[in-house]
Amino acid sequence: MTRTARLLLFALSCLVLAPATLALAWHMPAFGAHPLPYGEAINAVATAERHVTNMVSAVNFDYRGIDTLGEESMLLCAVTGVSVLLRGARGESTRARPGRVHGQPLRPRSTAMTLIGRVAAPVVLLFGVYVALHAMSTPGGGFQGGVIIASGLLLAFLGDGYRTWRRIVPSHLMDAIEGGGALLFALSGLLGLLTGAAFLANVLPFGEPGSVTSGGLMIPINLGVAGAVAGGFAVLFGEFLEETRVELSDRPAGGDT
Amino acid sequence: MIALLPWLVAVWLFGIGLYGIVTSRNFVHLIGCLSVVQASTYVLLLAVGYRGGAGAPIFYTHPPGTPAVDPVVQALVLTDIVIGAAVTALLLALALQLHKRRGTLDPDELRPLHR
Repeated sequence: MTRTARLLLFALSCLVLAPATLALAWHMPAFGAHPLPYGEAINAVATAERHVTNMVSAVNFDYRGIDTLGEESMLLCAVTGVSVLLRGARGESTRARPGRVHGQPLRPRSTAMTLIGRVAAPVVLLFGVYVALHAMSTPGGGFQGGVIIASGLLLAFLGDGYRTWRRIVPSHLMDAIEGGGALLFALSGLLGLLTGAAFLANVLPFGEPGSVTSGGLMIPINLGVAGAVAGGFAVLFGEFLEETRVELSDRPAGGDT
Repeated sequence: MIALLPWLVAVWLFGIGLYGIVTSRNFVHLIGCLSVVQASTYVLLLAVGYRGGAGAPIFYTHPPGTPAVDPVVQALVLTDIVIGAAVTALLLALALQLHKRRGTLDPDELRPLHR
């Protein structure tokens, strides 16, 4: 399809769909007055039923747990896909030197950058662990905490460069954390089956509302999600970082089709 | 007007993202446009779950029963953002491989593989 034909088709479909969309927006309930049957039900019963104070985590890790397991698998598949695509062309070797744009020298990193990286990375890592662990009581959870942990790991690269990053974030360890997190989630679901209940049924003691140990089965599920997200994003960073390197054997870049 | 605004913003984000995808001359730009389309779903879901004058669905300091917004759509958006970032990375990896093999990122310069 040519560009003109594509644009014409787009304009035509806009002409057809725009009145319908506007009519739909006009007939939607007013902003802030939409009926919320499921949300209100969860808000009413979750604290009494599951002893947790963060309703979003209750939905994610308990009431809608099987759905989150599916999304967890999507994350695993996307990260696996990136690794296969990039490693397939490059190989798994990590013995590479920095690639550079032709004609531009490699500039040394400034000491201010290193200092900020070294000071900020542990603080960000600690904050990520804090957010991940307090999933059931205060805003946060494995998804948010995992991303913050991965950002803290990336700060180590910004501060100290590729070699240090490779040393403290070994790619095999990150692969294991990523897959192990998803595995922990799936195995937590099997725990319910062992006691004769349904898959992902919350069979552990619920604990005290508002404490770190509240939520029963949500605790291992949350840890699994935190591991899978943190490991997954660290793998993604690593794979894209490797793309900026060239092999030591001086193979011409991009010539391996 | 304020009652309509969130729905119109969602429609606008979807439309402008789709326009970007249709007219895109570069796959990296196209992936960015896809993220804009995805953002329209976040706006729509969060606007559906909003309740006038209500707080966050966290009952740590407030007792349960305090008016709160819908936690179900918030959980949907939360997982969606993380998965969306990972899928964007997958698409960028595809674009990277495409550039290595074909030397172009322009969708129009790609022809079906013969044989």
